[in-house]
Amino acid sequence: MKKETWPQNNFDVCIRCATCMAVCPVSRVTPKFPGPKQAGPGAERFRRPDEPSVDEWIDLCFGCHLCDMVCSSGVNISELNLIAKAKYLDEKGRPFRDWLLTHSYLYGRLGSFFSPLINRLLRNSQIKWLVETLFRIDRRRELPGYESSTFRQWFKEHHSKGNKKVVSTRNRVAYFYGCYTNTNEVDVGKATVEVLEANGFEVILPPQRCCGIPMLGNGDFKGARKMGLYNVPSFLNAIRSGSDIVFSSTSCGYMIKHEYSRLLSIPKAEEVSGHLHDLFEFLRNLKESNGFNTNFKELPRKVGYFAPCHLRALGIGLPALEILRLIPGLKIDNIEADCCGMGGTFGFKKEKYEISQEIGKDLAEAIDRLKPEIILSDCEGCRMQIRHLTGLKVLHPIQILRDALTR
Amino acid sequence: MAHYDLIVIGMGLSGLMAAKTAAEAGQNVLIVGKGMGSLCLFSNSIDVLGQLPKTMRMRDGLSRWVKDYPEHPYSKVGPERIEKALSSFLSLFPPPYSFQAIGNENCLIPTGAGTRRPTYLIPMTMVGGASVDEGHTLIVGFKGFKDFYAHYVADQLKCRGITLSLPDVSNQEITATALTRLMGKKSFRENIGIEIKKQLHGETRVGFPALLGMNDPIQVKEDLEEIMGAEVFEIPILPPSIPGMRIFNRFKDWLIQKGVTFLLGYSVSKAILNGKRCEGIEVLRPPVTTSYSADRFILATGRFIGGGLKANDEKISEPIFNLPLSQPQSREGWFRKSFFNDLPHPIHQAGISTDPSLQPVDERGNLILENVWVAGSILAHHQCIDEKSREGIEIATGYMAAKFALER
Amino acid sequence: MKIKTEVLIIGGGATGVGILRDLALRGIPSVLIEKGDFASGASGRNHGLFHSGGRYAVSDPEAARECIAENRILRKIAPHCIEETDGLFVSLPEDGLDFRDKFLRACEEVEIKTTLLSRDEALESEPELNPNLLSAVKVPDGSIDPFTLVLENAKDAEGHEAKILLHTVMSSLILDGDKVKGARVKDLLQGEEYIIEASHIVNATGGWANQLLKLAGLRIGMALSKGSMLITNQRFNHSVINRCRPPSDGDIVVPNHTVSILGTTSIRLEGVENFEVTSQEVSLLIQETSKMIPAIQEARFIRAYAGIRPLFQSEEKGNDRAISRGFVLIDHGKRDGIKNLITITGGKLMTYRLMAEKTSDLVCEKMGRDVLCSTHLKPLPGASRPVGLKERLKQFSTDRGEILCDCELVPRKEVEEFLKTGKLKDFQDILHRTRLAKGTCQGGFCVYRLFGILHDLRMAEGDSNKILKGFLEERWKGIRPILWGVSLKEEELIESIYKGIFNL
Repeated sequence: MKKETWPQNNFDVCIRCATCMAVCPVSRVTPKFPGPKQAGPGAERFRRPDEPSVDEWIDLCFGCHLCDMVCSSGVNISELNLIAKAKYLDEKGRPFRDWLLTHSYLYGRLGSFFSPLINRLLRNSQIKWLVETLFRIDRRRELPGYESSTFRQWFKEHHSKGNKKVVSTRNRVAYFYGCYTNTNEVDVGKATVEVLEANGFEVILPPQRCCGIPMLGNGDFKGARKMGLYNVPSFLNAIRSGSDIVFSSTSCGYMIKHEYSRLLSIPKAEEVSGHLHDLFEFLRNLKESNGFNTNFKELPRKVGYFAPCHLRALGIGLPALEILRLIPGLKIDNIEADCCGMGGTFGFKKEKYEISQEIGKDLAEAIDRLKPEIILSDCEGCRMQIRHLTGLKVLHPIQILRDALTR
Repeated sequence: MAHYDLIVIGMGLSGLMAAKTAAEAGQNVLIVGKGMGSLCLFSNSIDVLGQLPKTMRMRDGLSRWVKDYPEHPYSKVGPERIEKALSSFLSLFPPPYSFQAIGNENCLIPTGAGTRRPTYLIPMTMVGGASVDEGHTLIVGFKGFKDFYAHYVADQLKCRGITLSLPDVSNQEITATALTRLMGKKSFRENIGIEIKKQLHGETRVGFPALLGMNDPIQVKEDLEEIMGAEVFEIPILPPSIPGMRIFNRFKDWLIQKGVTFLLGYSVSKAILNGKRCEGIEVLRPPVTTSYSADRFILATGRFIGGGLKANDEKISEPIFNLPLSQPQSREGWFRKSFFNDLPHPIHQAGISTDPSLQPVDERGNLILENVWVAGSILAHHQCIDEKSREGIEIATGYMAAKFALER
Repeated sequence: MKIKTEVLIIGGGATGVGILRDLALRGIPSVLIEKGDFASGASGRNHGLFHSGGRYAVSDPEAARECIAENRILRKIAPHCIEETDGLFVSLPEDGLDFRDKFLRACEEVEIKTTLLSRDEALESEPELNPNLLSAVKVPDGSIDPFTLVLENAKDAEGHEAKILLHTVMSSLILDGDKVKGARVKDLLQGEEYIIEASHIVNATGGWANQLLKLAGLRIGMALSKGSMLITNQRFNHSVINRCRPPSDGDIVVPNHTVSILGTTSIRLEGVENFEVTSQEVSLLIQETSKMIPAIQEARFIRAYAGIRPLFQSEEKGNDRAISRGFVLIDHGKRDGIKNLITITGGKLMTYRLMAEKTSDLVCEKMGRDVLCSTHLKPLPGASRPVGLKERLKQFSTDRGEILCDCELVPRKEVEEFLKTGKLKDFQDILHRTRLAKGTCQGGFCVYRLFGILHDLRMAEGDSNKILKGFLEERWKGIRPILWGVSLKEEELIESIYKGIFNL
């Protein structure tokens, strides 16, 4: 990818105030990563595009964007890191493992089809040892299990049962469900559709592929761009026929809404961005225009809400928290921690697993102080990590909302 | 478009105070900002007016000050309301991690350069430093932590210093946040406590760089004191400021809990003006621009570091509302010929001029925007670096800007 | 105390140290005194251009010939002080192409290799160039680190038994009829006064030449010309960018480590102390250089500095640039009747070795010794060390340890090594020998840390905070002229730390 299409690198405006250092979760737990100030604007003064990369620590940054959020000079630190990471990995070569981790959409449906067998294998300790030895995927990490019926399959059935409540296109919304919802956490998709329908919307599924964020996170700009080039025209069709789009995974959403245009320069991505919303942001907008179904049952539970990094980067506040506070009986608290440490594919890698866990420990401690029954989070990566760290029940907030509405 | 009672622009201490004050009054508040202000840079303790003569009571000092400097932000607030503002701040920090003034006057605390600085409200973790005696204090540094040097501080304070080696950090650097995190672990504290105790030569106080844990610094302090049998205190160091972050985190958690919409990470790109009213603000998250409207707005965007004021090679401007600024005639007049002077550099006094209710006015004193108030260091006619008044101005004007706005 | 030697050299710039090395390699015992640190005059205050000679090809072919010859020699003996960046002579629309054609012919005459590039080729290699440029000519320019160069010469000289006394000033010359017998000198750090006896004296003091000659009741015609430079925070160009037109203000941008240096101006001065960069010079430099590299208009600057060119003039000439940049070797025996005093003046950093060779030849002639120069053949001591930005970044990666200066990636180890040699007494000397304080924050953080290390090593002398304040005051001179935009933010940060947190 030619450098001209990348956004302007603005490392020049860094004043070395070290505010970014105060929030970086990685440099908090390991000295191997020099911290955002050094890794980004600091090292950039020494990098030359025609010289080989020597930043062997650069892939310790997993793009949580916390540094970007607090840099008052406006340095796009994680972007600088990502571009440097891409160059480094392009030169060094990427292991097959990274391909496996970033192309799960290719074999996801196979996983569902053979789920009883696959799930058993994924839990088998010898298999996990083998996977670690061959591919350096840490055996301590629980690999997500597959569901036998995909979300798409469920939706097809659901639609054919004549569940169309509204015919007019004015109340139609398109749903980007994401790979994980489709094959590993179908109930999130179900809950999304049920809640949207309960608010008078017909839900459609535009043709869609993986959003590409696993690839982007591993510095594979080409692969990520391919996904975007497929998705954007499909989304535009939906938008131009009158449907806005919602997403239930904040990572997918951030990718499409911001990275497609900024980093990947996908044509017309800006138009999509204007009509793409986080699911709870969409519901909050409904609430503000008095179109929100608040027929809630009582739900006497103590839950903790954890805001994913990509949700913070979306800059929409905490809409899930705002909405769920309306449910009678529900005691919901915001968990005071900044990053779960999963970092997408980061936490699966053997050489990164312990860092991921150390970061997660701080979150686990915060959860422990709160002692909730259930944890809620809008990102599948966070949900995986929190389950792994605490063993508690972890759900997407939409699942609780669905429970309050329909049952 | 989302609508709020009040939008606070800026997430430094003045913005946070304004948001708190409004939220307490039941207002629907949005606070938007990029960065954490100077809290995590310079704010280790709460300066109110460090420049006052020693042993002058703060109340008397402030009363004198507002008479001598009628344009100063403190004069817009008044000594009584400054006190109320400080109380409001203090209410966020109930024991054990509370702030206190020693004898209602300024106290002197040691710094990372071995000097002493005057300040007013100090957290409980710094109280021991206010009475550093020669010969009774041990200063402790950490090998690999390059923003604090025990011998440097000790030599200047004329006491003893030691540098501890950290077991896992051989030949590596350790960042402030990593060391703070380690301090938060009981086993780590025990190890260093035992090690330091071995090296005590009868000292009764032990000074550390200001990173005694993020979430429960008092626990850290007490554990160390128990093991070593000596009083423990923290010393302000180079940025990032961990004590400042504690303040930020506390505000953040409180505001989110209270239902304030807390948008950290993006700056306001534009204000939507309609004559003398501000209708709303725009926030750009490329490629999307989102608008927010409100009845009232508080501008608390800080000075140059935070981008509240911008300077090209000719003049200074305020980028969001394009408010006129009180400033020196030309760039030549911004800074004096030497760095250290008896008088401050004139540029530090530049900023937004306001009427007594903290609303922005032009050179003739006419109100520019009827539903906008200004708070914090962006105000003109103060120079918080030399005065040692930064946090006091931020707290007092943040509090009052909200109060004034609510009266309308 | 008395020191006896054959040759006393006064002046620790490139010329003086070059002469010391030359004589040392010829086996002639010499001593050099310098009132400050190495390269504290023009040698340490230029834009670091490693000349191809292109700049003189049209106006002064002799000087150009000298330059290209030295260019080839220095590449062999001092590769580690040089970054081989090449250079471009860029013609903008208002320059036309006549001068460029003249330039090409002139370079050919003096054997400077040139390559004519098309507009696209030029923009490909230097994306920040003005896209409206007409043409670009590639020449073998480069970027040189003057301080390292001087230090290396000094090291080699000391390795051959020469003696160097820094922070040593001459109080008076000991005259005896038509000869100078020696000098009374004072060690400024220890306060000691003593005598150095020598049979020959070389005045290599650059701009201070007349101050020294005054002690012998002599004087030469000299013009002092101030040249100011600006340093940007990032490196905009990777080869030297020259304007293809007769030499003028603001016509060069030199890449140097992590930054670009914009140069230069030419303003007559009366004295050699207390000069500063004016805001008019700042505006002029930005205005002119941004014609070649438009991004400079919005660039962030981290420092402004000036140096003084000593120009020998035998008669009054109007424009300083017209006075020959060639060097002048004055035998005061022939000119003034003082047999064993020589002054070497004029010239430029690029030809220091040649100046040293000619001076040493004259000294040998006066001594009746027949030893040839070998400085062009023998490489300087550190010549095999790999250098460059990539090396610094790599070192940062593999063997990090504590990094003292975050901006320039200077490890604590490197600084401790200097300190442990025990030779450095003056704080500024430590700064000169590393890239500490040369980056974005200009020492805002690393100098504080340096004091910390001095205390850790129990090497701190005097009141550290007083010295720290002195450093901040000195630093101020370089940043005050460029304080706007982002640099102003940086200043607010640094001031808030030192006056605010530390209450200095």
